[in-house]
Amino acid sequence: MSVDEAAVPAVLAARTGGSARRRGMVARPVALWQRRRAIRLLVGRDLKVRYASSALGYLWSVLEPLLLAGIYWFIFTQVFTRTVGAEPYIVFLIAGLLPWTWFNGAVTDAARALHVEAKLVRSTNVPREVWVVRVVLSKGVEFLLSLPVLFLFAFLYDASVDWQLLLLVPAVLLMATLVLGIGLLLAPLVVLVRDLERIVRIALRLGFYASPVIFAVQDVPEPWDAVFSFNPLAGIFELCRAGFFPGVVDWGHVGLSVAMSLGMLLVGWAVFARLERTVLKEI
Amino acid sequence: MAVTEPVIAVRDAGVRFHRGKRHRSMRDFLIRGERGTRPGEFWALDGVSFDVRPGEAIGVVGRNGEGKSTLLKLIAGVMLPDRGTVDVTAGVAPLIEITGGFVNDLTVRDNIALTAGLHGMSKADIAERFDDIVAFAEIPDFLDTPYKHLSSGMKVRIAFAVVSRLEEPIILVDEVLAVGDKAFKRKCYARIDELVAAGRTLFLVSHSDGDLRRFCSRGLYLRGGRLVEDGPMADVLARYETDAGT
Repeated sequence: MSVDEAAVPAVLAARTGGSARRRGMVARPVALWQRRRAIRLLVGRDLKVRYASSALGYLWSVLEPLLLAGIYWFIFTQVFTRTVGAEPYIVFLIAGLLPWTWFNGAVTDAARALHVEAKLVRSTNVPREVWVVRVVLSKGVEFLLSLPVLFLFAFLYDASVDWQLLLLVPAVLLMATLVLGIGLLLAPLVVLVRDLERIVRIALRLGFYASPVIFAVQDVPEPWDAVFSFNPLAGIFELCRAGFFPGVVDWGHVGLSVAMSLGMLLVGWAVFARLERTVLKEI
Repeated sequence: MAVTEPVIAVRDAGVRFHRGKRHRSMRDFLIRGERGTRPGEFWALDGVSFDVRPGEAIGVVGRNGEGKSTLLKLIAGVMLPDRGTVDVTAGVAPLIEITGGFVNDLTVRDNIALTAGLHGMSKADIAERFDDIVAFAEIPDFLDTPYKHLSSGMKVRIAFAVVSRLEEPIILVDEVLAVGDKAFKRKCYARIDELVAAGRTLFLVSHSDGDLRRFCSRGLYLRGGRLVEDGPMADVLARYETDAGT
């Protein structure tokens, strides 16, 4: 019985280990779900380190987006005359910067997830996706915990609030999907090609200005607005802002976000499954 | 013997490693796939097949670098075969690289909870066995000390205490018995005896004849990544000694 497993895609290969039985793209999410306790444990540990171990823990997690918001608010309302975004601009900024902080932090950390936890990955038989999912969720919880700051500023600056605030829910789901997809794609690649980590950091820097954080896609002149529409973050940020700025949501952008996030997740997971065995040897 | 279903079924398992260059280029991955053997590659494990039934105690012998640890990693599920299949139908408590799962900055207490949890122990079980684990490791005064401040002997003791408390039907032991002082070693032996007596399946990698004869009834002899002998422990050791002598 010589099954040449190398000839079939790794995704379909049978490797049964402990309770985690994985065969292909259906079984992988199932195996992950079975080990959700491990994920909860790791996320809990992350949050504990973040919030319990330093008195300023909570402040740290909102400080960066707030400082950035302050700086952009100053530059674009005091130095320049603001022509982009919407009023109150500080709320517009925070509603974009908080989800951007999640995206930025999760992609940076997820890319290094397998590399940084090499010792744990080598010694524990949990589905390897756990290490990426854990980062996405930890950063996601930090995002949720930072939302009160957004509401506080909306209240202080007397922003209008309506039922579309509920669109934050699909925004969170979309962001989690997108970041998980990107993380699953990058984590194994960073183990194999170390300099990719640096490229990711540069790409994120540029990505900030390629994403509608300090402006809206509608502010981008033709023909460039078409390019910005294809950024999956455009739809997500619009959903985040919908509750305070009526009419900001372009459902075309949201549709593209959904399609691209799901596509990213499929591609990311396929690459992850394909590279898993090589990564386990190199790590 | 053939009545019970095997808990471990290894079929034509092979693991390929790269000599020299650590990383293959992106082009190789994306275009050529992972087929075929290229120069500079070797099979650390090649065409290995065997079955293990519940309750067997198996000793793995072979010189350094002949594939023993790779075999254990396959069974532990922390490495995947490039060829063939490895089917493990019961939970595994891996006493290999045991200190690997511990995090330097967390306290001993947190580390015990984390490692036990990652290996699948439930919260209730952890709480119940916590005192046992601490007593076994003889570290009651160090529970709130960051793991990194412990001596290497203590680290191994905690790790052994945690992993050997996992209620898993299969136990993998890789050379860990070589560390620790005499008294602790005796405790480890007693614990392994206890586990084997309770019907667990044992997989032991060791260079010590004494350990192998003491715990194992069946032996596997790996040479050059191939399984060259599979039989009673005494016969396998005799064959290994003959090979080593010439």
